[in-house]
Amino acid sequence: MMMPKKVKFRKQQRGRMTGKAWRGSSISFGEYGLKAMECAWITDRQIEAARIAMTRSIKRGGKVWIRLFPDKPITKKPAETRMGKGKGAPEQWVAVIRPGKILFEMEGVDRGTAQDAMRLAAHKLPIKTKFVSRDSVE
Amino acid sequence: MKRDITVTAEVRASRGKNEARRTRRAGQIPAVLYGAYKDAVSVSVNPREILKIVRSSTGYNTIFNLAIEGGETTPVMLVDQQVEPVKGTLLHADLKRIDLTKRIRITVPVYTVGEPAGVKLQGGLLEVITRAIEIECLPDEIPESFSVDVSELMIGQSKRASDVALSASMKLVSAAETVIAHAVALRAEEVAPAAEAAPVAEAGAEAAEPEVIKKGKKEDEAAPEEKEKEKGKKK
Repeated sequence: MMMPKKVKFRKQQRGRMTGKAWRGSSISFGEYGLKAMECAWITDRQIEAARIAMTRSIKRGGKVWIRLFPDKPITKKPAETRMGKGKGAPEQWVAVIRPGKILFEMEGVDRGTAQDAMRLAAHKLPIKTKFVSRDSVE
Repeated sequence: MKRDITVTAEVRASRGKNEARRTRRAGQIPAVLYGAYKDAVSVSVNPREILKIVRSSTGYNTIFNLAIEGGETTPVMLVDQQVEPVKGTLLHADLKRIDLTKRIRITVPVYTVGEPAGVKLQGGLLEVITRAIEIECLPDEIPESFSVDVSELMIGQSKRASDVALSASMKLVSAAETVIAHAVALRAEEVAPAAEAAPVAEAGAEAAEPEVIKKGKKEDEAAPEEKEKEKGKKK
């Protein structure tokens, strides 16, 4: 699972997910990409599941770039615990995603294969996504 | 490449985000015209006309005429633009006046042609590193694109910017060693099937935590200062 090697603080406040992804919203490395159309917390497990679905779909051939990193710790209190006594223990890591963010990129495969692989990856994510390519100027 | 397209523009008297939003609501987008040692002019243009030019075969390197209502008509080029991240619509455009007699620096797309021998025979992967190179030429000589033949590439071999065929009047501005594309060996899938099962088994267990960067100075750095303080106390 993806997570930071070093952190300054073990726990974080929840924060807000307003606005759009003004950075990281264009394809930078590959030929095709998967763009987020909603905001969400995407967990390390969802990213890993999407990556595995994609790489298995394209089999041998092609290269995949992961453009998101889960750097936000999410805490949870144990079950059947009374309120209070401080913040819970870190349980998982998430990436804060805003609409417009390119989540994955792909190269070295034809358009149809890339589209299929991205569709499988999109099924592992909790948000609506859109398949985009480098030559698609809106 | 110069094309006989004329885009009309209106001068914008007012500025600011509110006025820019009103302009966009009216079906226009704010743009700015500058270059050729003349003053910058704030204008508004029709985004459909600009997009039609961008989508054409000459793309961003198209030189077209901008006719300002009640003002100058000059050859211009789209040099920068702001795009809405979700819808992908144009929000703002930067137009630069082009002097057709002076050499300009432009970025021209480079496409690869053919299937590399390293992919066909050795089972490798063609990785495109650079998709455009910067050249210097006269505005009339701007090419649509360059193509590089990669059919002879074996694994470990690459095509560089210096391999792109330029005409005599063109000058390469990008570094000659810039890799355009190379054939690489495929890496095995990072996670083995046995390793994939492991995280599921560990699901119940607490996830490993990253190292927390400690506050304050390290012991070695703090030591000399503390020693000095101790000396001061003794005195």
